[in-house]
Amino acid sequence: MSSILQELESQISGLKTTTTKSNVGIVREIGDGVARIEGLSDVMLNELIEFPGGLYGLALNLEEGEVGCILLGDEKGVVEGVEVKTTGRLLSVPVGKGLLGRVVDTLGNPVDGKGPINASATYPVEKVAPGIIKRKSVSQPVQTGIMAIDAMIPVGRGQRELIIGDRATGKTTIAIDTIINQARINKANEGKPGFRPLYSIYVGVGQKNSNIARSLAVLEAAGALPYTIIVSAPASDTATNQYLAPFSGAAMGEWFMDNGMDALIVYDDLSKHAVAYRQVSLLLKRPSGREAYPGDVFYLHSRLLERSARVDEKNGNGSVTALPIIETQAGDVSAYIPTNVISITDGQIYLETDLFYQGIRPAVSVGLSVSRVGSAAQIKAVKQVAGKIKGDLAQFRELAAFAQFGSDLDAKTKSILDRGARIVELFKQVQYNPLATEIMVTTLWSMQNGYMDDVAVDKIKDFQLKLQDYFATRKDAVLAKIRDKGAISDDITADLKAALAEFKTSYR
Amino acid sequence: MKLDKDARKLTKGLFQLSLTNGRLDDKKVSAVVKKVIADKPRSFVGILKEYQRLVRLEVAKHHAVIESATPLDKKGTEQLLAKLQAKYGRDLTTEFKVSPSLLGGLRIKIGSDVFDSSVRERLARLETQLTQA
Repeated sequence: MSSILQELESQISGLKTTTTKSNVGIVREIGDGVARIEGLSDVMLNELIEFPGGLYGLALNLEEGEVGCILLGDEKGVVEGVEVKTTGRLLSVPVGKGLLGRVVDTLGNPVDGKGPINASATYPVEKVAPGIIKRKSVSQPVQTGIMAIDAMIPVGRGQRELIIGDRATGKTTIAIDTIINQARINKANEGKPGFRPLYSIYVGVGQKNSNIARSLAVLEAAGALPYTIIVSAPASDTATNQYLAPFSGAAMGEWFMDNGMDALIVYDDLSKHAVAYRQVSLLLKRPSGREAYPGDVFYLHSRLLERSARVDEKNGNGSVTALPIIETQAGDVSAYIPTNVISITDGQIYLETDLFYQGIRPAVSVGLSVSRVGSAAQIKAVKQVAGKIKGDLAQFRELAAFAQFGSDLDAKTKSILDRGARIVELFKQVQYNPLATEIMVTTLWSMQNGYMDDVAVDKIKDFQLKLQDYFATRKDAVLAKIRDKGAISDDITADLKAALAEFKTSYR
Repeated sequence: MKLDKDARKLTKGLFQLSLTNGRLDDKKVSAVVKKVIADKPRSFVGILKEYQRLVRLEVAKHHAVIESATPLDKKGTEQLLAKLQAKYGRDLTTEFKVSPSLLGGLRIKIGSDVFDSSVRERLARLETQLTQA
């Protein structure tokens, strides 16, 4: 009791002598989450402005004699003529490991009903991306657990890989699969020396509440939630919160990067983010450009995605990997926002509706998907078995178009077609079921070395599943060897050959 | 009513014309208003409203509103005025208000600067410090 009294006393004595100087303004116009304020002669750009009743706003437009401000909450109770004041602070959100396993809103307030958040620090929402000196090139892999992606379009830690496609082509699924796979790897390797866990942040912008709830349920069921932060700015949230949510997520990721850890951020999705920013800009009466987006919509996304980086030992020794998602309309990748984000990112995974309905899921289009830096991060074992696959598949697609017309094919063409059809089958993968790297390596090795050539194409999936089962239950030692070595050496090749020979005799 | 670009520019020009050595000149202001009303340029009502706003903001910059819980004595008032004029210039206009809701102390507003040493403000600050700690 006495300590409370002492604290009170010290607080009061601290107040005694001070006269506060503040800078105030009067609200002249308010509505649609935007306020115009007269006065505020000392206001700074992006400064937090305090409204009566604990509401805060962000000064975005500084004009002559007027300040345009967006509100970070409900404008109820704020009327024309009320006095507001500057705070001298920037908008910041809680960061740290205390957020893992939680669902928060744009401002970092919990929305999952699990009590207050135990944050270790706060980080400003807008921060300048790490410069050239601080950076290090990408060299460690992010295992998505999706064979088509890990084999052909590898993603590295610190990379920005765009996931782009029409509605309902499995964009979010790829992101969720990746998050689940990280949780599995983290769990399996917990406490091992030299192991770097990868924490995930899922930012839902302008999504349906039901979609975010579904993703949350999937992550929870897969046991991935303890390694994940969900930042939720659903469609029912204000445009301001939708506009700021990815930046909040980036700030949370940066804490991991600054403290020697790795983080993965999924921005789902940036098309809706651009729409929210367009709304904010138009309400602030900023001039509009193409498709009514403001002139700085490119800068909006570039400054966000530039914050994904890998930094060297002196500057935090961590990384932030970004998986932004863009939804296209009718497959049009040359629309304004898609081209912007494609040009910013280090590659894209393009998902096609046609492939999706042909049953090729994930519907990754091999020709249009690339990873500009990820191959440096691919582990050797995958490189050994997957090096030629992208070329093989591209050749297959080209020949398959011609082969429809004639039945007489020479032996070489036929072998390319057979191989291609088998690769396509192998890459089909059910959702929320990421594969371990060593399983991928054994499967691809068996295909590359002709063990699947005598299996009928419609039986490939069955063969693959049984083979995976066989390795997981009976040849665990080989898998462990591949996992530890990270490459296929001569003795592993011999082991694989023996194992495959044994499996083939039992398979029917 | 939204003012167009040209009218806005014109208003700004008129406002510049009403200044002498960077300070508002009453004679010039009334002359400008009379001239605008006589000439009736396009959307002159809007122009006058915008002009009024600019003048109001300019006047507020050099006008101090001094609120206190109880009426101030003469000596204190003189001291206060001398201090304020030293900081904000000789031509500072003042307005004294008695607002018991302050509970005690002073609150001075000049333009958009507010100096607050009132008991009400201190209590409010204590409240936020205690609730947020």
